Amino acid sequence: MFSRRSFLQATGLTAAALATPVGTPAIIRSAHAASGTVKLGCLFSSSGTMANIEGRLNHVVRMAADEINAKGGINGRTIEVAVSDPASDWPLYAQVGKQMLEQDKVAALFGCWTSVSRKSVLPVVEQANGLLFYPLHFEGDENSKNIVYVNSPPASSVLPAVDYLMGEDGVSAKRFFMLGSDYVWPRTINKQLKGYWKSKGIPETAWKEEYVPLGFSNFQTLVNQIRAFADQGGGKPIVVLTVVGSSIPDFLREFANQGIKATDVPVLGLDMVEADLEGLNTEPLVGHLNCWAYLQNAKSAANAAFLKQWADYVKAKNVPFKGNVVIDPMISAYDAVHLWAMAAAKANSFDVPEVRKAFAGLSFDCPSGYKLGMTAENNYVSRGVFIGSVNEKQGFDVLWQSKDASKPVPFSPYG
Amino acid sequence: MRRLFVAAVFAIAACAPSLSVAGEAERADLIGKLCGDTTSLGDGGRALTGIAADGSKDERAWAALIARAVLDRKLSCDSKGAVVISSDGSLDVFTHAQRTASEESRSPLLGLKNRALFETAEAALALRTAPDAARRNAALRTLERQASSLPEHLFEAAAKQENDTGLKAQMAAVAQAAALNSADPAKRIAALARIAATPDRRALTQVRALIADPAYAANPELKRAVDAAISTIGRGIATGDVMATLYNGLSFASILFMAAIGLAVIFGLMGVINLAQGELIMIGGYVTWLVQEAMRHLVPGLLDWYLIVAIPVVFLVTAAIGIGLEAILLRHLYRRPLMSLLATWAVSLFLINLVRVTFGTQNLNFVTPFYVTGGVPVIGDFIFTWNRMFAIVFAILTLALTWGLMRLTPLGLNIRAVTQNRTMAGCIGIPVRRVDMMAFGLGSGLAGLAGLALAPIYSVNPQMGQNFIIDSFMVVVLGGVGTIVGTVVAAFGIGQVNVLIEPLWGAVAAKVIVLLMIIAFLQWRPEGLFAIKGRRK
Repeated sequence: MFSRRSFLQATGLTAAALATPVGTPAIIRSAHAASGTVKLGCLFSSSGTMANIEGRLNHVVRMAADEINAKGGINGRTIEVAVSDPASDWPLYAQVGKQMLEQDKVAALFGCWTSVSRKSVLPVVEQANGLLFYPLHFEGDENSKNIVYVNSPPASSVLPAVDYLMGEDGVSAKRFFMLGSDYVWPRTINKQLKGYWKSKGIPETAWKEEYVPLGFSNFQTLVNQIRAFADQGGGKPIVVLTVVGSSIPDFLREFANQGIKATDVPVLGLDMVEADLEGLNTEPLVGHLNCWAYLQNAKSAANAAFLKQWADYVKAKNVPFKGNVVIDPMISAYDAVHLWAMAAAKANSFDVPEVRKAFAGLSFDCPSGYKLGMTAENNYVSRGVFIGSVNEKQGFDVLWQSKDASKPVPFSPYG
Repeated sequence: MRRLFVAAVFAIAACAPSLSVAGEAERADLIGKLCGDTTSLGDGGRALTGIAADGSKDERAWAALIARAVLDRKLSCDSKGAVVISSDGSLDVFTHAQRTASEESRSPLLGLKNRALFETAEAALALRTAPDAARRNAALRTLERQASSLPEHLFEAAAKQENDTGLKAQMAAVAQAAALNSADPAKRIAALARIAATPDRRALTQVRALIADPAYAANPELKRAVDAAISTIGRGIATGDVMATLYNGLSFASILFMAAIGLAVIFGLMGVINLAQGELIMIGGYVTWLVQEAMRHLVPGLLDWYLIVAIPVVFLVTAAIGIGLEAILLRHLYRRPLMSLLATWAVSLFLINLVRVTFGTQNLNFVTPFYVTGGVPVIGDFIFTWNRMFAIVFAILTLALTWGLMRLTPLGLNIRAVTQNRTMAGCIGIPVRRVDMMAFGLGSGLAGLAGLALAPIYSVNPQMGQNFIIDSFMVVVLGGVGTIVGTVVAAFGIGQVNVLIEPLWGAVAAKVIVLLMIIAFLQWRPEGLFAIKGRRK
């Protein structure tokens, strides 16, 4: 039995003992940080509707950082990755981003999937003069000096794919059903597409535009509408799908169930990645298309190396995602870390203005097989384009790919 | 079945007297085309369709195998020709000997244009060679859409060798409909009658195009036939559209009902706003998946029936979770609605994250059993899809059982008594606490069943429950707290109104308008559609 006094003493001692490793090293750690490490911040949700696709990007950034650290780090420092969870809540991205920039003093942020989350972080990074590497292809029409657009704007990803479908090699598409989630990315993409078709002399009666709320899942009526649209005649119809998140598999399931095949009405899924097909029986979906700057089936030595690296990393670190599924934004996040590291090494500094100046002329061998490049003109990265076709094994076969990495056009001339 | 067929085809081909030299040259030419570039691949597809119409029996059997292999990317081209990879190993396309493709082999990838050609070729060949009638029927359905672009004698030849009388008649009908653009007006009129028999928008477009045809103005008989066909098809489409709207409304209503019925019991009885209800639906989906995986390992032959086997398992597991929740947590929070609301919200977050950590965030991979795959066209553009039908039937059965339980059993009587007046029920000796526990279990079990019914329609992931919580509260509040009839009527009403608005103003507006309508309605009748008569506390 403890007497009251000895109990107090014991508790006091325990408390002191507990406090020591927590309390004191705070000073040591920050001192350590000043000399030995540099912090990078991740803004990817691991909960909420984007969790399944965004969550894996945290691990990719870590893997890239580990890879650089293993080669001795940059400028004599090792990279430390801070991970957050903005919970698929768009304003929270800004809040967490601000915290990371101001309190954690991260040298650069890597984050956001949806355009609405990027738009909410934009004022924060501009105010703090930070850097955000954005790994998704998006609607363009934006050019901040504080954001590095690692993936393609529509002129170098969506338009080539639509051109392919409208051309002889594709299906000579004449009519278009645009179906998107109701937010900025689908609306801007569709606006630009309409401008593009107008410039080609396609009449307004040849397209139809529909939007659904984010997270929408009951596509029965909309698929009925698509069938009615397709059967009206007047040329080959296609669906330009810009719904995001869990709406993608729900749409595809209903589409296949109503008996529409890719050869009847092909779907061009602009946000569709390998991970969206994970829970689906893709046999009735074979032939539907997507377009990205990377596909898992890309043939290159760098890709084989990356796939192996990711599989090993998943195994070694017990990552809760599949080791055999790699999607474009993962590659873009991986490229982003390397581009940042190359720029920091070139500038021999972690200061944002210095790093930014070093972007011009960088080039990196992306796992997609293309050589990425950056210029002094803007913070866009030139990437290649792939058009993928859904196969039976829940993946995409490479149907077409561009000859080289095209120069990005930030502002669309159409609409 | 397929394996046997492949083996049989090769056996026949191998035993057949050796081919003429010309035949062999043709085969080599065809394989050359298939292994060539995109354009020659397309020529190869057309050549395969040609074989379906004109080739000998051996030729057709061989071509059927090749067409299927190209579609499945099971054909590998190499310097010596090509090999087909089947379940029996990889076989040379010419000699049928076992041979693996050399290192630098590649399998031709079909673009959409070529894929359409090969789907046609494969269906045409299946129509002539497939041993089972269902397969031939499916092939005919694929071909009838493009009948006019196919060689005319394909259907005649297929009909001649067909021994299934029903199918034979259908083939003749398709051939007749294909003659829409032939020179003979009598044939055209017969074709019009055939086409009008399956009235959908595609047929309408096809027939309408004839109005521009000079024969339409010149031949009054044809004009009459075209006009008649257009009006018949128009009526068919209108009927189909009405049925489709009703069916879509009913299917959405069944989903809403399944999501809301458990909540109706819990909210109605105890006044507990259970924000974890959606997560119980999600857990129902996960338990269904676990049953599927267990059956995959234990009884793989019966795997298709996992949705049925899972019913009692899902109900019991989620009911047990519900009872546990009630006993550990909610029991102590009765009469404090705000606290129970917060507590159930915490439970919901906890369950989401527990599942996320245990299973990961990806969508679960469900086997799609044959009884929830695809659909049948009924009339016009109305397709009766089986997965929706499964949800509807499931909802009706759930309704019947819940109603029976509430009306016909002592437990139901007790639940109703407690719902009407908790204190009085306690006074006359009803074990109120135990009734609460059982009712909570029942409500949770019903939520679990909703997860099962939704598995063939929606994606199952840790977040799925969040989509349902608002919808189900809408249904319960609109229907009137604690009435099953109210829940049914409200679900049906919301479902139908949604489906009616969606094509007019879009899905976003539909959601907003429905919400506004409910708010307006509750201003007028705050107690909902069906209020329980009697004194409430």
